[in-house]
Amino acid sequence: MNNIDQTLWNYIDGNCTTEEQLAVSLLIESDHTYRLKYQELLLLDKRFEEIELDEPPMAFTYNVIEAIRTEQSLIPLKSAFNKRIVLGIAAFFIFTLFGLLIFTITRLDWSLAGNLSVNIPVGLKVSIIKNYVNGPVLQGFLFFDTILALYLLDNYIRKKNFRNRINVSSK
Amino acid sequence: MQNKLSDTELIEQTLAGNQSAYTDLVKRHQRFVFTLAMRFAKGREDAEEIAQDCFVKAYRSLGLFKGESKFSTWLYSIVYTTAMTSLRKKRIETDSIDDETSYIQVASPQSGYENNVENKSRSFYINQAIQQLMPDDATIITLFYRGEQSLDEIGQALGIEANTVKVKLFRARQRLKEKLERNLKHEAKELI
Repeated sequence: MNNIDQTLWNYIDGNCTTEEQLAVSLLIESDHTYRLKYQELLLLDKRFEEIELDEPPMAFTYNVIEAIRTEQSLIPLKSAFNKRIVLGIAAFFIFTLFGLLIFTITRLDWSLAGNLSVNIPVGLKVSIIKNYVNGPVLQGFLFFDTILALYLLDNYIRKKNFRNRINVSSK
Repeated sequence: MQNKLSDTELIEQTLAGNQSAYTDLVKRHQRFVFTLAMRFAKGREDAEEIAQDCFVKAYRSLGLFKGESKFSTWLYSIVYTTAMTSLRKKRIETDSIDDETSYIQVASPQSGYENNVENKSRSFYINQAIQQLMPDDATIITLFYRGEQSLDEIGQALGIEANTVKVKLFRARQRLKEKLERNLKHEAKELI
């Protein structure tokens, strides 16, 4: 019976070769069992087409677009700033500041209480350094540090909020 | 106006930055994607999660869609992969296709059905029987009858050969017929 079914389903689906199709047509016409089975399967085929599709919730489309928007809002920051570069810049400033601090401390004359002086190396031209380390440069340096600190803080808060949102939605 | 655009045109517009074009794509395919997700999920909430995840994934990979197949075929392959991953995560047994137990528990067909069977629509019983099938069987039948997918396209979506799809479709139909007959007993002949 399974073979008859399989042959007839192939015939109904149009998956037979021309010769097979002719042979099955003849069988349906001549063989009563084949004819009955064919009619039964043909009816089933029509009924299967009546399968209903499930309706998603009303807010489905909105939720999908919102999920995409949330994801997109995180992408620009990730793509614009490479984490390694940011960490590299931070490391550079930390080491520079730390180096300067060490350098200053080692050059301090602790014997002169209240009158601090720095022993500048002989070959170093203080006048040239003074030209560079002036008010605007220091202000710029501090401004850059502030921006960097704000960016890192913003990044941290965003991540924290995102993790909270995920935790809330998973609950 | 936007509704008359083809899937390919909507994809092009989406890739050009028009997000409302993607909204139209979602609206166009959401019923079918949700139905497919329902074939795998335990309930509507899980199905919604799977379906939503599929559309987000599809959006993310839209640039990779080459247009070599229908968008729906490509989308259904995402649904299938996502649903299978979700199933695996939830450790639901799916590999035993000969398992006779119902995948989704439905009300007993004996309870009150015999009296009012004539008043119920045929599609109700067919959908009920579909829900009792294993996810793979239900998916193949749904894709074939409602997804406007050929055997080749179903094969593409499920990652199997067209001939395997043919065999699986045959078995799925047999099982669906058995379920219908079991659920409806004597009424089956008149109903179907």
